[in-house]
Order: sequence, then C-alpha cells, then structure tokens
Amino acid sequence: MIEIEKLTFDHPGHRALDAVSLRVPEGSVTALVGPNGAGKTTLIRCIAGLETPLEGRITVDGTDVIEQPREVHRIMGYLSDFYGLYQELSVARCLEYAAAAQGLPEADISAAVARTAAQLDLADKLAQPAGNLSRGQRQRVAIGQAIIHRPKLLLLDEPASGLDPEARASLAILFRQLQAEGMTLLVSSHILAELDEYSTHMLALRDGRILENRQLHPVHTAQATRRLRLELSSPDQRLPGWMQQQAGVLPRQSDAQQAEFDFNGDAHAQAALLKALIAQGFPVCSLASHKENLQQSYLRTVAAHLEGTR
Amino acid sequence: MNNPEFKRNLWLSFSSHGLIAMPALLALSLIATALASEGNNKMESLHSVATALFIFVVWLWGMRNANASIVDEIRDKTWDQQRMSALSPWTMTWGKLFGATAFNWYGGLMCLAVIAGAGLAAGLPDVPATLITLCAAGITLHAGVIAINLHACQFESQFVQRGGMGWLGIIFALILWSGFASYETQPFRWWGREFGHALFLLDSALLFAACAIFAAWRVVSNALQVRTLPWAWPAFAVLMSVYLAGFAYQGNLLTLWETGLMVTLVMSYAALFTETNSLLRWNKLRLLQARQQWRGWLEHLPMWPGTVALCLLFALLLAAASGGMPETITALTPLQGPQALTLALMLVRDAGILLFFSFAQRARRAVGITLLYLLVLDMLLPFLANVAGIEALRYFLQPLDFAVISWNSPLIMSLHALIAVGLVAWRLKQSTQATDKP
Repeated sequence: MIEIEKLTFDHPGHRALDAVSLRVPEGSVTALVGPNGAGKTTLIRCIAGLETPLEGRITVDGTDVIEQPREVHRIMGYLSDFYGLYQELSVARCLEYAAAAQGLPEADISAAVARTAAQLDLADKLAQPAGNLSRGQRQRVAIGQAIIHRPKLLLLDEPASGLDPEARASLAILFRQLQAEGMTLLVSSHILAELDEYSTHMLALRDGRILENRQLHPVHTAQATRRLRLELSSPDQRLPGWMQQQAGVLPRQSDAQQAEFDFNGDAHAQAALLKALIAQGFPVCSLASHKENLQQSYLRTVAAHLEGTR
Repeated sequence: MNNPEFKRNLWLSFSSHGLIAMPALLALSLIATALASEGNNKMESLHSVATALFIFVVWLWGMRNANASIVDEIRDKTWDQQRMSALSPWTMTWGKLFGATAFNWYGGLMCLAVIAGAGLAAGLPDVPATLITLCAAGITLHAGVIAINLHACQFESQFVQRGGMGWLGIIFALILWSGFASYETQPFRWWGREFGHALFLLDSALLFAACAIFAAWRVVSNALQVRTLPWAWPAFAVLMSVYLAGFAYQGNLLTLWETGLMVTLVMSYAALFTETNSLLRWNKLRLLQARQQWRGWLEHLPMWPGTVALCLLFALLLAAASGGMPETITALTPLQGPQALTLALMLVRDAGILLFFSFAQRARRAVGITLLYLLVLDMLLPFLANVAGIEALRYFLQPLDFAVISWNSPLIMSLHALIAVGLVAWRLKQSTQATDKP
C-alpha cells in the first residue's frame, strides 16, 4: 500500500528523516514506534502529502504522493496528533461536511453519515455540538471525519493520547474492524501496550532512520512455526544439546534451566515433544507458547541497535 | 448547493437570532436618520448613512470574518483536514470568500437597497456605479485579507495567528473609506486621457477585486499542494506599475520606468521579508537544479527573485532612457539613472543580507536580525560618520544620496552587493561542508 524510497526530510538544524525506505503491506496495521523526535510525525505528514521532503519518493496505492498529492488524498484518511473539530457544528454536520469535502456524491452523504455514526457509536450524539462532547467522543468524531469516505489507507498520529482505558479499548476494537474491512492503518503511538492489541506490523524509527520494519505475529496455520518456552524445575546440562537434535526445533536461546525455541509442528507434535522430554528425565515445569509483545520487541530492537552502534 | 465550504460557513454564520437582529438594527439606524434629518436632505442623509453602514457591515466586519476564515482554521487545527479534502482550490476560495462573509452581505444587500433608493430619489449621479464600486471594494478587501493571511501563516507569529493581518486590513479599509467619503467628482487623467470619476473608480475597483480574488485562489492553490509557477507576483507588479504610472504620465515612458522601479522595489521587499527563505528551501532548489528539473525548480522558487529582476530591469531602462533625454524632461523626475541603479543594487544587497542570516544553523529570527542590521548599516553608521565629519566614510556606507547624482553611487552599492553575495556563498559552503560530514 505504501512504498517509500530514500525519503529525506530536513528541519532547521537537523535531519528529521534520513534516506528512509520502507514498504507497508495492504491490509496491515502497522505500529509506528520510536522515541520523541524520531521522525514519526514527519513521516506521517510526508505520506499524507502535507509536507514536501528534500528528496525521495513516496507512493500510496501506486500513486506518487509528491507529484500527485491531491489524487492520494482521495484514498487516504488522516488524523493528526492535534486534530481539530468545528466545535459549534453538530456531530451530524461535522460528518456531513467531511463527507462532502471528500467528494462523496450528495445522494450518498446521509447514508455515509449514518453508517459512520453507527460504526463509531455516535448515533445518539448526532444532534450535539462537537464542542460539548467528551474527549473520547470528540476523538471518535475526528476519526469518523477521516474514514467517512472509506479510504484505503488511514494514518493516525497518536490517536489514543489522553484517552481513558475504556475509550482506548473501544478504539482498538474499531481499528480491528477497519482492518477487517480491508483498510490499511499506520498508527503512531507511545503507548505500545495499546498498539499491541491490533498491530500486525512494527515500524521502529530512531533519529530519522528505520531500526526495524517487520511483521509482528506470523499468521498461524496448523504446521506454522511458533515460539515456545521450556522451563525446568532444576538445571540439567544435557538440555541445550538435546534440544539441538530434535526435529522441528530451532533453538533461539537455551541454557541448563530453560530454552526458547521456534517449534514447527501442531499441538500433537508439541505433546510428543513434552512426552520425550519427560521420558529423558528432564524435570519439566513449563512448556508454553511464548509471544513477544510489542514493547519487548521494540526494546529488544533498540537494545540491538545501541549494541551495534557501540 | 455543491460547495461544502460555503455551506459550512453558512451553518456557522447564520442563526435565527442573527437573521432578525441584522435587519432590525439596520432599520432602526435608518429610521433614526430619517427622523433626525430635515426636509429635502432626508434622502441624501439616508444615502450617506446607508453607505457608512455598508462600509461598516461589509468592509470592516466582513474583513474580520474573512480574516477568521483562515486564522480560526489554523488556530483550531482544522486546516490540515481542509488541505487534505477533495475540494478544488477555486471551490475552497469562493466557499471561504463568500461563505465567511455571507452574513455581512446579508446586511450589505439591505444597505445597498437603501443606497440605491435614496440615491435615485435624491437625484444623485452615478448610483449604479457607486453600488458596484462599493461591492467590488468589499470583495477586494475580503479576498486580499484571505490571500495575505494564508501567505503569512507560514510564520508561527502570534501577530498573524491572532488575526493581526486582519487588523492591518481594517486600517487599510479605513484609509480607503476616508478616500471614498471625501472624494471629489473631478475626472481622472490617466495616461493622458480623461475618465469620468465614477466610471474610473468603478473600473479600478473591479480590476483590484479581480486581482485580489486571483491572489486568494493562487495562495489557496499552494496551500492545497497545487503547485504554481512564480509569474503572478511579477505580473501584478507590472500591472500596478502601469496603473500607477498612468496618473503621472507626462508624454514619455520615464514615469513608467520610475513607477515600475518603486513598485517592484516595494513588492520585492514585501515578498522578501514574508516568504520562507530557509536553507532547506535553497537545498531543495540546488537538488532540483542538479537534476535539471526546471519546472520543479521554478515551482519551489520564492516570489521575490522575479520582482528583483524586474526592479533591475526598470532601473536599467530608467538609466538608459534618462541618459538620452534633455535635461528639461529628466529634471522633472525625482530619480536619476545612477540613483535608480543604486536603489536596485541596494535591494540585491539587502536580499543577500537576509539570505546570509536565513541560512544560519539557528535562523529563527532572521528577518528581525536583518532589519536590525539594515537599520545600523543604512542609518546609524552613516549618521555617526556624518557627525564625526568623515564624509567619505558616510558616502561609502550610504551611497544612496539624492542630493548628489554620481555614478560612484551604483559602483559603491555594487561593492556592497558583492560583499553580501560573497557572504551568502560562504555560508552555503559552510552548510554544505557541515552536511557532508559523516
């Protein structure tokens, strides 16, 4: 959906994006993570065609953003970190204006407003002025404005900041719904735990460069590789060597007391492995799937980067 | 109604209270005028008061609302949403121009009806021309303030964000109003021909309304990422030069070159100090130049180089024309060839000084620093040299001397300009070396 080649953007006195190249697959939810000043907002604004980079190329669904920003806007929705609403307009009119401004035919606007309001749980708020809503509700109106024309790509810059846990949970549900409808989402946030709930990919930025851009949780099939973690109640020096010899086992990290490995097999194969471990006399106290969350993944990436730069 | 921006502005501008209050207040003011004035003067008084009310409601209040149509969007963070909409620049422009001021035009139309009725009843001349002139001037002010605000919004200055441009516009409107209120009905002499007063005002107002709408459309286009080539600003400078030179026409083209020089000088400084002249923009231009992407290069070029080039051209034309003319003619023009060239070269020098400060690593206050240095260079140091009695130093520091007509003046100013250009080249070299460092 998004392809970027050697994108470079300068702010006065520093380089915000330094020859960034990346791909964001269609239908994915990509978590854009990184510390303050990493270049997340600049990257999102460049993709949205709101900033002109020094050099580089950005295409969205095959259209060049720098050459044809207006064309790309038709298939894109954007929610900035400091979004605004027309406080004195009712929610219905905010959505109606957004729909008309995005070029929806007059005849389709009422249906689009009703559909979006229902999707965002705003149907009973349509007559209220936007300025009278709670922060979470205003956030939903702003998202409604960004998605009312059913864009293929939705860019969200810190969408959950300032929201209470309940509003965040409903936001996560909404993003999963949008992904299920085929929309591609690029979401920047500091709250990694919240991104973890719906992200399929992670794009880590630091100092204007990409640290990592990868899929988070591979799609599971019956024979898919999973990360498993084994723990023994007491150390056994045979464990690392024994694990190396097992079919379908690719050790990632192991010592006498524990092992973390990629396992290629279904639940029956996992049961057989456990049976073999016990038969060999290993004092197994735990064998379970080990899913690395986004925070762990990000911190591991940063640690590897810092190690590499030393 | 197919313009969402116009429709949104109507939603925000009109309320049932406003719909009743506006005609009620206007009617009360006009009834009070009618009751207060006597016999034969009644219709003339109504005409005058309705004109004043129109100027207040449409020109001044309307300009405040046109100002808010940009300032409020930026302040309330809704501008990005508008920039990403599918609205065309023209739809956005007229939606803001007539939508944000629709309530003012609602009141203005009532005033126009009274102006027309009272004017015709009182037997005043040129009533239709007056009506159209008033409307055209209102549109000029509204479109002008939209264009200036959008142009200036790149500066994160509180003055602009609080609607300062609107206040400047209101001051301009008041000056215009005083001119309108105290006009004499003498015909205008323009390019040697005589034009009726009302007709000339009408034509001028329509011309400037068209220019202001065009300017607003161009600036909105740029804000909506529709790229344009930088011809409009120099073209407007030429238009203004021809328009203004017509009033001073004395049978030769000297007045045109002279007016052109002054107009392009003022417009160059205005653009120079209000456009982005950052190193980032220069780097982008260098990159496009290296890749020979000339259209992109022109699209990213600021407006001021075009008028600076025109200014140099007008100075050369003035110098060449005045050189071949008898003294009886050249004595009538306040500017002589050497002074014209000195002025144009001073503009080049000042542009160089601004770029030198703008290309610094920390260039947040480049405009302010440049103005300070220009004040020191052009006024303080020459004053000190003068007080100290070092006339040669004073002349070297400020060679623009209207009392002395000498070709030394442009020569010395060329040296100033060369030093400024050299400083810019040095700064660029420094920045390139800093960028190339790993």
